[in-house]
Amino acid sequence: MNIKIDVIENDHSVEAKVSGEIDVYTAPKVRETLFPISEREGITLRVDLTDVSYMDSTGLGVFVGIFKNIRAHNGTFQLRGLSDRLKRLFEITGLADIIDINCQNEVE
Amino acid sequence: MEIQSCVKIINEWDIVAARQLGRNVAKELGFGVVDQARITTAISELARNIYLYAGQGQVCIEKIYDGAKAGLRIVASDSGPGISDIRQVMEDGYSTSGGLGAGLPGVKRLMDEFNIESSSGNGTKIITTKWIR
Amino acid sequence: MDFREMMESKYRDILEKYITEQSEQALYQGQKFSRKSIENKISPEELISLHKLSLTNMYPDLSKEVIDSFDILLEVMLGYGLAYREHQSLRHKQQELRTEMEIAANVQQTLLGTTIPTVDCLDIGAISVPAKHMNGDYYHFVKDEHNHISIAIADVIGKGIPAALCMSMIKYAMDSLPGSQHEPKLVLENINRVVEQNVDPSMFITMFFGMYNTSNHTFTYSSAGHEPGFYYHAAKDEFTEIEAKGLLLGVDKKTKYAQYEKAIEIDDMIILMSDGVTECRSDEGFIEKETLITYIKKYIHLSAQEIVNSLFKEIERLQHFELRDDFTLIILKRKV
Repeated sequence: MNIKIDVIENDHSVEAKVSGEIDVYTAPKVRETLFPISEREGITLRVDLTDVSYMDSTGLGVFVGIFKNIRAHNGTFQLRGLSDRLKRLFEITGLADIIDINCQNEVE
Repeated sequence: MEIQSCVKIINEWDIVAARQLGRNVAKELGFGVVDQARITTAISELARNIYLYAGQGQVCIEKIYDGAKAGLRIVASDSGPGISDIRQVMEDGYSTSGGLGAGLPGVKRLMDEFNIESSSGNGTKIITTKWIR
Repeated sequence: MDFREMMESKYRDILEKYITEQSEQALYQGQKFSRKSIENKISPEELISLHKLSLTNMYPDLSKEVIDSFDILLEVMLGYGLAYREHQSLRHKQQELRTEMEIAANVQQTLLGTTIPTVDCLDIGAISVPAKHMNGDYYHFVKDEHNHISIAIADVIGKGIPAALCMSMIKYAMDSLPGSQHEPKLVLENINRVVEQNVDPSMFITMFFGMYNTSNHTFTYSSAGHEPGFYYHAAKDEFTEIEAKGLLLGVDKKTKYAQYEKAIEIDDMIILMSDGVTECRSDEGFIEKETLITYIKKYIHLSAQEIVNSLFKEIERLQHFELRDDFTLIILKRKV
């Protein structure tokens, strides 16, 4: 169960790339890394999930928590690189309507 | 009540002095080798706690008698920060998980009677006794 | 005789035997002795002391250096003895926790208990199995005064105790809805407000609520991010996904839910589930909807309860009898 999270800090935005599986064992690490970022006022957080091979509902929970936190701090939360399976997960849960999951912008 | 001998715990070497004192008294009282080792380990543990967490304090050893029974009592006291949650430090696995040694539950196991008084800011006093079987 | 009393001579016998023969048999006796002494709670330091004593008795001329060396060994082993006793006590505590958990699971069973209603026109089957002791899935049936059947099925993210605690809240939120409240979208909107207020931000719940009108045979439903189930159209022998969109509970308190309606014909089936059913992984990857449909087809001639039971058995086998998530499956079949 390996997970890698690379974080690139820019002036007003943070780009995070997650690689591996996000499940009940690794989700806490994702939360620990990204939660503090989501507390920053007006932050733009982009998370790249291209190399995420699997994500269960615990992982989804982490992203919902981060999203709610960012929204509370007037920031922007974007996801990119979702596999078809992950896209479907976001669609079923209605999250695709409130979270930008098709972000194409590259890091400035 | 018998005479009480005390060792002040200020630096790590005082732990050895406290052990030595405890061993001498235990021998005099006629404790077996295994119980001597248990008593000294308990003393070590208590003295180390004082040295690590309170900075300084003292360990006193006394011979006690209850009818025909003879025993050894350790009184470890300090005026350090005290313990706010005694239940927690008396829980197995709490101090040992951090590799801090036997901890207070260990001391309690090594001895026959164990009593602790402590509150946040008012230091700690631990009284523990072992009887000769 | 008490083990403590005879252990001295026993140990000495074994020691003597080994020193004379150096045989495997003597070593084996040593192993048996250790089992006995653990049973009798003899600590390692006592054994070192026993060893030292036996040696001094057997070889009065043994060098002082050798004898003294045991004092160090004794001191060192004392720590191991303490660690061992701590381990014993922790194991005991773990046992207590397990017992407590089993009781909690029973309490939960009673709390969340629901009976499958009986109506002439429907054959209903339901199964819900927790991955661990406590279940994070919830389902509930209600039959109202018009014989209409409402079904709620919910899934809390995660499993175990946190999920189960959360589930109890849903149960009470459902119970405190006005009795007349069976309009699916309004039920979800109500529950969503309760969840939004009472749940940790990273915790969420998916829920499906449906109402089967037994007079005109329509199924009205809404979904809050819940895994869509299937609809089996008997006349065409065809499975389709039940279409339902809606946001998870607890994300946004102002969420409005869409409501859908479906006419149900004789022999048609409504299949509802928790994501434990589709999220479970087997050797070949996820259990795909197609696999699930294949299994349903295999058992389609059975009663609704038999179908869900058989399906669970199949999926349990696919996962080598190790459930990764709570599993809930409900089937409604129109009979007449």
